[in-house]
Amino acid sequence: MFRSLARLKPYAGRYRGRITFGIALFLVARLFEGSIPYFLKVGIDSITSGEGQILLPVAAIVVAVSLRFVTVSWARIAVRRSAYLLACDLRRDLYEHLQVMGPRFFGQYSIGDMMTRAIADISLIQRLISHGTTLLVIMVFATVVGFGYMLYLSPMLTLLILPPLPFVFVYTLRASRQMGLASRQVQDRLSDLGAHVQENLSGIRTIQAMVQEDIEIKRFERTNQGYADAFYRHARITSLMSAVMPSMAALCSVTILGVGGIMVLDGDISIGDFTAFFLYVNMVVQPFRVAGMVVNMFQRAAVASDRLFEVFGRPPEIPDAPQEGIPAHIRGDLEIRGLSFTYDKATTPALADISLAIARGESISVMGRVGSGKSTLLKQLVRIHDPEPGTVLIDGHDVRDYPLAQLRAQVALVPQDPFLFGEPLRDNLTYDDPTRRLDRIWMAAESADLKETIESMPEQMETVVGERGITLSGGQKQRATLARGLIRHSPVLILDDCFSSVDTETEEHILAELKRLRSGQTTIIVSHRVSTARHSDRIVVLDEGRILEVGTHKELLEAGGFYAELERIQREGADEADFQAAAATAAGAGG
Amino acid sequence: MDSAGAAKAGRAGQTQADKLRNYRRDYSMFDADLSGNVLNFRLLARLLKWLVPYRVQFVQSAVLVLITSTLAVLLPIIISIVVIDHIVRGDVPETAMDLGMIDLTEWFMATTGLPPLGAACVLYALVQLLWAITGHYHRMTLVTAVINGLRDLRRDLFAHLETRPSQFYDRVAVGRVMTRVTNDVEALYELLRGMGSLIGELVPFFVALVVMLAISPPMTGILLLALPLMAVATHYFRAATRVLFRQTRQTVSAMNQNLQENLSGLQVVQISQRESYNHDRYMKINRRNLELETKSMKLSTLYTAFTDSMASVAMGAILWYGGGEVIQGHMRLGEMILFTHFINMLFHPVVILGEQLNILFRAMASGERIFQALDWDEKIHEPARPVTLPPRLEGEVEFRHLDFRYDFDVPVLRDVSFTIEPGEKLAIVGPTGSGKSTLIKLLGRFYDFDDNQIYLDGIDLNHIHTRDLRRRIGVVLQDFHIFSGTIFDNIALGNENVDRVRAVEAARTVNAHGFISALPDGYDTVLSERGQNLSQGQRQLLAFARVLAADPEILILDEATASIDTETELLIQDALRKLTAGRTSILIAHRLQTIQEADRVLVLQDGAVAEIGTHDELLAREGLYYTLHSLQFQETT
Repeated sequence: MFRSLARLKPYAGRYRGRITFGIALFLVARLFEGSIPYFLKVGIDSITSGEGQILLPVAAIVVAVSLRFVTVSWARIAVRRSAYLLACDLRRDLYEHLQVMGPRFFGQYSIGDMMTRAIADISLIQRLISHGTTLLVIMVFATVVGFGYMLYLSPMLTLLILPPLPFVFVYTLRASRQMGLASRQVQDRLSDLGAHVQENLSGIRTIQAMVQEDIEIKRFERTNQGYADAFYRHARITSLMSAVMPSMAALCSVTILGVGGIMVLDGDISIGDFTAFFLYVNMVVQPFRVAGMVVNMFQRAAVASDRLFEVFGRPPEIPDAPQEGIPAHIRGDLEIRGLSFTYDKATTPALADISLAIARGESISVMGRVGSGKSTLLKQLVRIHDPEPGTVLIDGHDVRDYPLAQLRAQVALVPQDPFLFGEPLRDNLTYDDPTRRLDRIWMAAESADLKETIESMPEQMETVVGERGITLSGGQKQRATLARGLIRHSPVLILDDCFSSVDTETEEHILAELKRLRSGQTTIIVSHRVSTARHSDRIVVLDEGRILEVGTHKELLEAGGFYAELERIQREGADEADFQAAAATAAGAGG
Repeated sequence: MDSAGAAKAGRAGQTQADKLRNYRRDYSMFDADLSGNVLNFRLLARLLKWLVPYRVQFVQSAVLVLITSTLAVLLPIIISIVVIDHIVRGDVPETAMDLGMIDLTEWFMATTGLPPLGAACVLYALVQLLWAITGHYHRMTLVTAVINGLRDLRRDLFAHLETRPSQFYDRVAVGRVMTRVTNDVEALYELLRGMGSLIGELVPFFVALVVMLAISPPMTGILLLALPLMAVATHYFRAATRVLFRQTRQTVSAMNQNLQENLSGLQVVQISQRESYNHDRYMKINRRNLELETKSMKLSTLYTAFTDSMASVAMGAILWYGGGEVIQGHMRLGEMILFTHFINMLFHPVVILGEQLNILFRAMASGERIFQALDWDEKIHEPARPVTLPPRLEGEVEFRHLDFRYDFDVPVLRDVSFTIEPGEKLAIVGPTGSGKSTLIKLLGRFYDFDDNQIYLDGIDLNHIHTRDLRRRIGVVLQDFHIFSGTIFDNIALGNENVDRVRAVEAARTVNAHGFISALPDGYDTVLSERGQNLSQGQRQLLAFARVLAADPEILILDEATASIDTETELLIQDALRKLTAGRTSILIAHRLQTIQEADRVLVLQDGAVAEIGTHDELLAREGLYYTLHSLQFQETT
C-alpha cells in the first residue's frame, strides 16, 4: 500500500512546504482545543474551593477558542488547497499522457475505464490528502494531546481507561470494512437497476409489440427488491455501528464514573478533574471511531494510485524522433516495401508483405472485403499504427523520420468512422486549424456537397452538432468529415471509405470536385463501390492482407478476377444494392 | 345493441377529447429541470400514499425514538446529578431534576448491596445498553418502512412507464425517463433517510431542552442565543455554497465531457495535430474548477470551524453564568456540569438541519418529476367491449380510406385504401418519410386512429383489444431488442406454448440453429445486455425464430438497412422466404430481392398510395416504381 502511495511523491513534493506548514498548525490548534476542558476544570475547582475566581478561566476559554478557530481553519485550508492543486496536476498529466496513446492502448483499455481513472481515481487521491491526511494528523495529535492533558491530571485514571480502546479500534476496522462492502453492493444493485430500466425502455416498442409488459414488470420487481435488500443490509450495518461504538466507548465513561468517583471521594482528584476527564475521553475516543474510515481511505487511494501510474507507465505509442535533413514539404511520392503488420494477440497478420509504389499526383482506389486490411494499410501512412522501419517511405524518406506533426499535417487521413465533436460545425470542419477564414470553410463545405445542408440549419456554421446539438445523418456526417479533410489541401489525401452512406449522385459530384481540387496531388480512396473506383488511375485489391490485383479499371475487368466479379454483382444489383438511397434521390428529383 | 352503440359513441368522444389533450401535451417538460425550490406539502402528502401501508412500523419507530432520546438524556444526569451532586457533594434536595435516577440508584443499592458509586456505574451501563438497543430498533423500523414504501413507488413508476404508448417514447429521450426511476427515486431515499437522522437529533434536543428549562431558564436562554446565530451562519453558508456547488458541478461535467470527447475522437485529434490546443482548453476548465473548489472549500472550512467553536464558547458561557449561580447558591455544581453535557445535543441538530435542507430541496424536485411521470396518462384507448377473436384468423387486412396525422396540421397518411388477401406477401416501398413505418405501426395499434379505417378479417381494428391484436401480429423491427436471459427465453418470450422442441424447430427453420448450437451453452447461452455477443445478422435470425415460434397470423417486417455480409444475407433471405410462406406478410423492403419475391408491391409517396401491383405490372406502367428501379441500374449503362 505504501509503495503505491509513494509514487505520488513527486506530485506531493511540489506542495511540501504548504502541507508541512498545515500539519504543524494542526498540532498548535489541537493544543488550544485541549486547553478548553482544562480551563473548565480550573473554573470548577475554583468554585468548589470557594475562591469563586471564574472570570480568568472564562477569558482563557474565549481566547483559546478564537486561536483554535484561526489555526485550525488555516491548517485545513493549507492542506486541502494542496490536495486540489495536486488533483489538478494529475488531471493535466493524465490528459497529456492519454493524448499520445494510440489504438494499441485503447484496444486494451476502454474509454469508460479511462474516464473512471480520471474522475474517480483522482478524486480518491485528492480526498486522501484533503481529508485522509487531515484525519490522520488529527487522530495522532488528538490522541497525543488528549492523553497528555489526562496524564497531567491523573496518570492512574488515564491508565485505567486504556483497556477498552484497542477493542474500539479493532471493531471500527471490521465494521468499516463491512460497511465498505455493503455500500459497494448498494452501488452495484443501483447500477443493475439503471441498466435494467435503460434496457427495457430502449426496447419498449418490441416489448409492447410482443405483449411482454407484465413479464417485464415482474422481472423488474426482482431487480427492485435486490436493491431494497442491499440498502437494508447497509442501513443495518450503519445502525449497528452507531449503537455499538458509543457503547464500547461508554466502558471508559463507566471507569471514570466508578474509579474516578472513588478518587474524588478520597480527595485524590478534584471534581474539575473528574469533569475534564469525560471531555478528554471523548477527544481520544473520537479518532478511534474514524480509524476504520481512514484506513479504508488509504487503501482505496493506494489502488487508485496504482491504476493511475499504470497509465503513466505506458510509453507513448508512436515515438516522435525526427531525423536531420528531412525536407519541410512532402511532395507526395509514396512507397511501401515489404510491409507486414500483425495486431496484438492476433494469430494471422493483418498485412503481409505489401509492396506498392504510388507516384505523386496519382489517384488510387483500394478495394477488398471487410477485414482485408485496407484501413490498416492506410493507417500506417500517418503512423496511427507504426510500420517497421524502412517499410513505408514518403519522398524516399522513412515515415518514421519525419516530425510527427509534419507528417500528419501533410498526409491528411479522413478516417472511416465519421466522428464529429460536440462543437459548432465551423470548428468541426476546420478542426486542424481553428483560425481559418470562414470563406475557406464554406468552400470546403461546398466541395463536400454540404453547403445546402448547412445553409438550411438554424445557425448555419455555428450550429452545434453531436449529442448536445443537432444530430446529423450518417451521410451528412461523412460529408462533414470529408470537408474536414479537403480543407487541408495536403499533398497526400487518404479517404477511408467516406462514401458508404452518401448516395451515388452526391458521390459523383464529390468525386468530380476531388478530381478538380486534387489534380497533381496524391489521393487514395477506400471504397466498396465499383462506381467510385472506376474513376481512379489505378485500383488496388486487397485480400487477407495481401495485394490480390493492381491495375486500371479496364485491366482488372479484363483480368476477370475479384474486381471483375464485384463489378458484375454490383451491376446486377443483387448485393449491396441500396434501393433506399435511390428511392430518396428519386423522390427528391421528382419533387 | 343500443348500449353497444352508446359505448362506441362514448369511446369516440373520449378519444376526441384525449386527442385534443395529446396535442397540447408539453413533452419538453420531460427535459426541463424542475425548480423544486419550495417546500411542497402536497407533494409530501402524495408521497404518504406509499408510506401508509407501513404505518405500524412508523408508529413503532416514533415510540422507540422517544425512549431512546430520554435514555440519551439520562446518561449525563447520572454523571452530574447522581454522582457529582448526590454522591460526592451530598447536596440534593427533593426537587432535583434527576428524573428518578437517584431513587433508582438507591433501590439498586438496597437490592444488591452495592456501594453508591457501584450502583451508579451499573445504572449507567444499563441505560447505555438500553439506549443502544432501542436506538437500533428505532432506526431499523424506520428504514424498513421507508425502503418498502419507496420500493413500491419505484415499481409502480416502472409499471406506469412500461405501459406508456409509442407516441410518448417518440417524443421523450429514454435517458430522461430512466433517471426518473433511478436518480429521482434515489433522491427520495436520501430525503427519508435524512429525515430519519434529523428525527434522531431533534427529539433528544427537545427532551434535553425540557430538563434544562426545569433547572435554569436564564442559562438555557443564554445557550439558546447561539442557535439563531448558527442558523444565520448555516443559512448563508448553504446559500453561498449552493451557487458554488452548481458552478463546480458544471465545470466538472465540462471537464469530463471534454476528456470523453477527446478520447472518443482521439484519432481525429492526432491526425489534426490538435493535441496542445485541446490540452489548453481542458486546462482552462481544470483551473477554473480548481478555483471554484478552493472557494467552496474555504467557506466550508470556516463554517465547520465556526460551528465547532460555538460548542466551546457555550462551555465558557456556562462556566461564566452557571459558575456565578453556583457560587451564589442558586444552582448546584452538578447541574452546571450537566449543561456542558447537553451542548452537543443542543447544537448538532442545527448543523444537521442545514445539511438536510439541501437534500430536501433536491428531493422536492425529484418528487415533482416522479409524480409528473406518474400523472402522465397518455394511453392507447381500448374498446369498452373487445371482440373475442377466433382461435385462428384468416389474415385478411383491409385499409379503408385511412387518414392519419400525428399533429393537427401535418397529415402522415392520406386516403390509404388497399386490401391484403390471406397469405399474401406485400412489399411496401417509398422514400424516407413517405409513411411506411407509420402504416405498420397503426396495424399494431401503436397509435390511436379513428374507427372504420382498418379491418382485420372484417373486424374494425378499434374493436379488438391491443393485447389480443398484438398476439396475432408478429413484428420484426429494425432494432432487434434482445431481452436479458438465455437464447431460449428470447425465442419463447414467456409463451407457455413454446417448449424447447418448438423453439429449436423454429430456429432450425430460420437458419439460426447453426450459430446457436455453435455457442458455448447452445440455447442456454445467456445473452448480454443489448445482445452484444451476437452479430447483426445473427440477431436478425433470432428475431425471425422468435416470430416463427409464436406463429402469428400476420407478419410485419421492417427490413434492416445495415449491410450484412453476403453469406448471412443469403441465410436471411432464405429464412424470410420460409417465414412468410402462407402467412399474410407486410414487408417494408430495402433490398431488391425482397421486393422481387413479394406478391405485390405498394409504392407510398407523401403518405398516399402512388402505385400498387406486381413487380412486372409496375415496371410495365413506367411510373414511380419504374424510376426507382431504373435509377438502381443506372451504373450498368
